[in-house]
Amino acid sequence: MIEPQPVFLRVSLLLLALGLASGAWAQDGVDPADFALTPTDSWPTYHGDYSGRRHSTLTDITPGNVHMLTLAWVFNSNPAQTIKATPIVHDGVIYVTAVDHLWALDARSGRQIWRYQYRDNAGFRIGHRGVAIAGNSVYLTTRDAHLLSLNAIDGSVEWEVEIADSDRGYWSTNAPLVVGDHLIVGVSGDFDNLPGVLKSFDTGTGELQWTFYSTPPPGTPDSISGGATGGQMWMTGTYDPELDLVFIGTGNPTPVLNGQVRPGDNKWTGSIVALNPDTGELVWGFQIMPHDTHDWDAAEVPVLVDAELDGEPRKLLLQASRNGYYTVLDRATGENLLTRPFARVNWAERIDSDGRPIPDPDKEPSRDGRLVSPDEGGGTNYRSPSFDPETGLLIVSAADAYGLYFFKPEHGDYGWAGASPGVLSRGFLRAIDYRTGEIRWEKDLHGGAGAAGVLTTATGVTFTGDSASSAMALRTSDGATLWHSNVGRVGNSPITYELDGRQYVVIGAGNAVYAFALPQQLVSD
Amino acid sequence: MTIRAVAAAALALAATVLALAQPPARRTDSPAAAAIPETETEQSYAPALVAAGERPYTAQCGFCHGLDAAGGSGGPDLTRSALVARDFRGDEIIPVIRAGRLDAGVPMPAFPAIPEDELEAIVAFIHDRKMRAGSLEGGRRAVTADDVQSGDIAAGRRYFETHCATCHSADGDLDGIASRIDGLDLMRRMLNPRLGQGQSLRGTPRITLTTADGERFAGLLAYRDEFTIALTEPDGRYRSFATRNVRFEIDDPLQVHFDLLGQYTDEDMHDVLTYLHTLR
Repeated sequence: MIEPQPVFLRVSLLLLALGLASGAWAQDGVDPADFALTPTDSWPTYHGDYSGRRHSTLTDITPGNVHMLTLAWVFNSNPAQTIKATPIVHDGVIYVTAVDHLWALDARSGRQIWRYQYRDNAGFRIGHRGVAIAGNSVYLTTRDAHLLSLNAIDGSVEWEVEIADSDRGYWSTNAPLVVGDHLIVGVSGDFDNLPGVLKSFDTGTGELQWTFYSTPPPGTPDSISGGATGGQMWMTGTYDPELDLVFIGTGNPTPVLNGQVRPGDNKWTGSIVALNPDTGELVWGFQIMPHDTHDWDAAEVPVLVDAELDGEPRKLLLQASRNGYYTVLDRATGENLLTRPFARVNWAERIDSDGRPIPDPDKEPSRDGRLVSPDEGGGTNYRSPSFDPETGLLIVSAADAYGLYFFKPEHGDYGWAGASPGVLSRGFLRAIDYRTGEIRWEKDLHGGAGAAGVLTTATGVTFTGDSASSAMALRTSDGATLWHSNVGRVGNSPITYELDGRQYVVIGAGNAVYAFALPQQLVSD
Repeated sequence: MTIRAVAAAALALAATVLALAQPPARRTDSPAAAAIPETETEQSYAPALVAAGERPYTAQCGFCHGLDAAGGSGGPDLTRSALVARDFRGDEIIPVIRAGRLDAGVPMPAFPAIPEDELEAIVAFIHDRKMRAGSLEGGRRAVTADDVQSGDIAAGRRYFETHCATCHSADGDLDGIASRIDGLDLMRRMLNPRLGQGQSLRGTPRITLTTADGERFAGLLAYRDEFTIALTEPDGRYRSFATRNVRFEIDDPLQVHFDLLGQYTDEDMHDVLTYLHTLR
């Protein structure tokens, strides 16, 4: 369903007809090459740029003035939908999504320009992470694992393709990653034994360019997965233009809790993989979660950082993984440089010589149940972390949690194949020293695992939300709270952009999107 | 084939495999079937209503509670839920769907926007799956009361006397506990008493609070985050304070349970749990 706002549409059509429309949209649209730069007047990708650092160079809002932050506008989604997505901003327009819904909003006022609603379908309604943009198109995934290209000006559908067959149990929440003319998109699917699939489609035509399987498709001989399926790549990857490598985390194997029918490491599940964006070929892989039996994927954001380690400048990849371990890799080679827990863990018997935590057989799901940390939700999850280069901190929404894990042969070997009820989860924001993995500070989020991601800015301010009911600004160096607003439990990762010389911080909570900015003096004294 | 058809086929296959794999003697007293609490008030639903509930159930609930309502990612097995067993035509289920369970161990979000007719269909679908699960021997993701009692009763009693007897007693508050709650429910409640049924008065944290003016308040902790703290006074009055302006002390009678989570071995846990199952 498309509801263009008549006046706006008429005006823009008129401008187009007169050949008067100028600026990025009408000329060239979005150039994906710009995603390598750190944006200031936009937030053009899920992570803001290609690096996944979610760090802004904007300096309008500082530790000294952030306490004055005030509401600039609010957008209440209609129909009301929980906002979990990262808003994507370009040329004064914000694209916000919820499951099968997309709104284009005025980035200055929150006013709706158009909205699109996908047809009803039987896919899982879990959440939605956001759109991708390139050229003059906006790309949206749907819960039945289709991929749509919409015209950015009016929301009309340009083309639609199926990423994977939802009748087989695939669904999608994914914000696609655009590299050149590649639209790289993954799917989810834990309830069925399905191969892990990542696909690349042509940004212009929707034509399939390549498919990468983290676990083999049916009929593949001599597979290295040990009989495992799964390893879905349901989060947005990152990209290094110099190395020309896409980095993406892969999901847990299936059957989920029954590891007996899939012996060995189950590569490439629970891994960070580096792929050639033109071919989808695997360049290297590192398995942070070998032979998972606890639903701990490694889909969390692989954060790309150029920084010194042991006195040498390195091209690093940082990940706080769902299994509770923080890992540092050399992203050119995949070599592991550090592995250390950042949340409560009791499931690994050792770290092997490759830097992989090795599961303790006594903590495998059993008939009578095992008390395991973290729980199924993990030491962290989809919530985006942020890297602050000034302090060298990776700031992560973490959880110390306990869960029970059951498996008995009667549970079978299909889909979940076991039970994993939670017992207790407590949310903390943790600031990890990227060099050592030490926790420099932590903040109690006053509740279970959080839902908010993290944004840092060049002035040393961190934006996030607690597990109770506040959006917050913290001092990056020590986590001290500088500002908060009781907008409700923050459900997405905050973003920031500057328009007309005013820095906006945009945060989703409940069914609404809130934009905060410093107060404006409209009349001089 | 739809997802649900696949799941149903898998379920049917699992049931067949189980039927073949298990000797008949085991089947007649299947502990999994016995562990499903009986629906308290008989109710029936038109097949069309059940069918209408499948789609919204799958989309809204299936990820966490499983396509067959027998447990999924994070959410409990609804076919073995005491609340579902008590429910009559949605009187218990619908309020939970609408309001969520935000304070649960794994919080359940609220679904305030699901239309009434869809809610009724979802309720019908859940009851239908509960009925079907009851007729299957050895449910797919079931954890039975027998499964969790792998410990040593004597060792469990010793652990209980050392660690639990300060607050609990076998012939006092826990007298007959296993006839009221057993299996996985008892296990989870033992580990975290805030799971399951609403919070008991006895388990609610108490707070004493002093304002900057030296005024003192005492009561049950009603809310707390970094910025706001609230208590309920003995007469039921709710009072909130800015945390930065007051000094306070919270006494959580359940803290020892949470401390124990980091101390139990799996053996300890099963020993105590097995011992608790003897308190009938």
